[in-house]
Amino acid sequence: MSEVAAPQARAAGLAWPPRALLLAHHGTAGAERALDLALSLAVPGTTRILHLYIVPDFWAGMQGDDWLNNAWTRDAFAEHVEGQLAQEARERMGALAARCTAAGVDSTPILRYGKPAECLVAAAREGGADLVVIGPPRPKGEPGLRSRMDLESLARGLAAPLLIAR
Amino acid sequence: MIYSHKSPALLIIGILMLLWGWMNNAGTLDGMQGWLHPGAYKEHKQAIDKHAADTQAAAEKAAAEGQPAPEAKPMKPSKFDGTKAGQAQLAYILGGLFAAVGVLVLVLPKKEGHLDYYAGVVPGMAFIVGIACAVRWILDPMFANWGKAAQPTLGWDFAKIMNLNYVVLGIVLGMIIVNLLRIPAWAANGVRTARLFLKTGVVLLGTLYSAAELAQLGALSVVMIGIFVLGSVWLVLLAGPRMGASNSMTGVLSSGVGVCGVSAAVAASPVVNAKAVDIAFTLGTILLWGVLCMFTFPTIGQLLGMGPVQFGAWAGTGILNSAQVAGAALAFDPQGIETLKVAEIFNITRVLFLPIIVVWLAAWYVKREAGAQKVDLGKVLVAKFPVFVLGFLFMFLLSTLGMFAPPGHYQGKYFSSEQVKEDKLLKEKEIAALQAHLPKLTKPEETKALQDLIANRKLTSREQDHVLKGVSKAAKDDKAVKDAVGAANKAAWHDSKIIRAFRDWIAWLFAIGLTGLGMQITVASIKQAGGKPLIIGSVVGIIKAVGSLIVVLLFVKEFV
Repeated sequence: MSEVAAPQARAAGLAWPPRALLLAHHGTAGAERALDLALSLAVPGTTRILHLYIVPDFWAGMQGDDWLNNAWTRDAFAEHVEGQLAQEARERMGALAARCTAAGVDSTPILRYGKPAECLVAAAREGGADLVVIGPPRPKGEPGLRSRMDLESLARGLAAPLLIAR
Repeated sequence: MIYSHKSPALLIIGILMLLWGWMNNAGTLDGMQGWLHPGAYKEHKQAIDKHAADTQAAAEKAAAEGQPAPEAKPMKPSKFDGTKAGQAQLAYILGGLFAAVGVLVLVLPKKEGHLDYYAGVVPGMAFIVGIACAVRWILDPMFANWGKAAQPTLGWDFAKIMNLNYVVLGIVLGMIIVNLLRIPAWAANGVRTARLFLKTGVVLLGTLYSAAELAQLGALSVVMIGIFVLGSVWLVLLAGPRMGASNSMTGVLSSGVGVCGVSAAVAASPVVNAKAVDIAFTLGTILLWGVLCMFTFPTIGQLLGMGPVQFGAWAGTGILNSAQVAGAALAFDPQGIETLKVAEIFNITRVLFLPIIVVWLAAWYVKREAGAQKVDLGKVLVAKFPVFVLGFLFMFLLSTLGMFAPPGHYQGKYFSSEQVKEDKLLKEKEIAALQAHLPKLTKPEETKALQDLIANRKLTSREQDHVLKGVSKAAKDDKAVKDAVGAANKAAWHDSKIIRAFRDWIAWLFAIGLTGLGMQITVASIKQAGGKPLIIGSVVGIIKAVGSLIVVLLFVKEFV
């Protein structure tokens, strides 16, 4: 696909093949499709996939209005949640790195905490991404954490082209 | 770590509060205060006119008799004056404190240590205190006025029906700030101290119970909470695996839905090794339910004509999240704190159940989950014990020993005939109003209570007092009946000054604490409500709310 797409991409003024491809991936079905797309566009030896894993900032409010517990219990909870999120991140980053290695593509994990769109724009800028690939929004009614990527912020903030996998 | 922010915000809050106090004292705000408190202002103006007329009449009489004009007597402070003076006093104390610390925050060098920690916390405390003051002094009376003003058009008083009083408004404003405006960085550390205000409020509540009251409410709460907490924990543990929920998800959900909401889920999550997604789904569900219950419970309670004991028992049992129990109780009964007294006993009982439930869940999880780490049950019991409950019991002990009020105060000593002076007995005009109201009553116990009041011209028992409170509440716009019952109640209850002050402080502590707690309820976390926890939690939550309502209506008498 890379070879077929190359002339059109160059004609559109895109850096091709992409040297730094930023992929937002956090393990959902849509993100898996984004990974497939990213791997099909990546050129082994040239492209490096920057795997962005975002821990959404709604976790900051997850102690909610707890007022009965003492500091010890709250700290134990915070440590537990952080531990769970870290373990999840490690597992997903490891799985993605293994897929990239199998495809002969280099990858670099990037872990960020905050609003998804803000994190993605910052990571793309700092990583010098030539292309950004994300998955489609989760279909309505499908269970999962509510932390949507704000597409308008991406459109305004990204310097690199954005591909959304279907 | 450096906690403080070099911000003039605290100093500005302090100056604004001092200004509020000064403007109230100087009378600059009389026009606005008159609009906010129309009833008190009208009485105040009438008292001024009467005083001026009396003074002039006395002067004219003296002149007619060839005597020098008598010295004008100072006017007795009106309720309106009292309101302004109370606000000014509190504004001076808090404003002075905040302004002084605000200057220190600006002057002190940033250096790690205790001083820096407190300099980082006080601005946030001032932020929630300032908002609570604004809500209580301005928004609460404003909404009450708007509700009354809109009544002829709407046909109902929206502020009253929707319980838009200082408690609900404080929580809502807190939620608006955190979700739409964001909490300023200089206030973020201090806002988290909201729980300190609430715990202090619960500790002080200990001063308001008689031993008999505490024993009876305690027994009732142990039975109710025992049935509904253990019942709902058991129900979730039963339903979870059948619906394909994981053990960790079932564990964290059962504690949250069964015991006391977010706090229980926070306490149980590490013990049952809850996954991140389990926690998010569960806490989102509980917060969603908590907010819904806080708005619906008081309205349902009003519609069903529930009294403080019934509503307190229902809210204390049926509302999933303990933070909203206090909110709903104060929303239902913002002027007195009788409902809060009942609801908090139920809350405390729930909290006391928490370590036991966590230990139960730990054992349940270890049994079902291969490879789960065993938990030191003794350590869990000690770590989860709510120490502030000891503070509550200590204050109760001091109070029972007569530290704050004469012995016998709580037993309703002033109901006895010898203790009510002749001038405190109901007047003929008040008796006439009550007699006119008598045919409107339908319940026999209410008729008897009112007949006894008319015959004795005073209340003779706490039970009668409780029944007549309901009559007064139902009298709605019949001011004469309300005033007469109010006068009888006032003659029977002689609160000591300290106890009155405690009541006032408790109301403030809860108002401030709940405003701060509102700032910790984010829509982003509520939006996480979903998955199996939403289904199981909603079903069990409805069963618990409806079941406890039925039990309360059938078996809990208004009088304890």
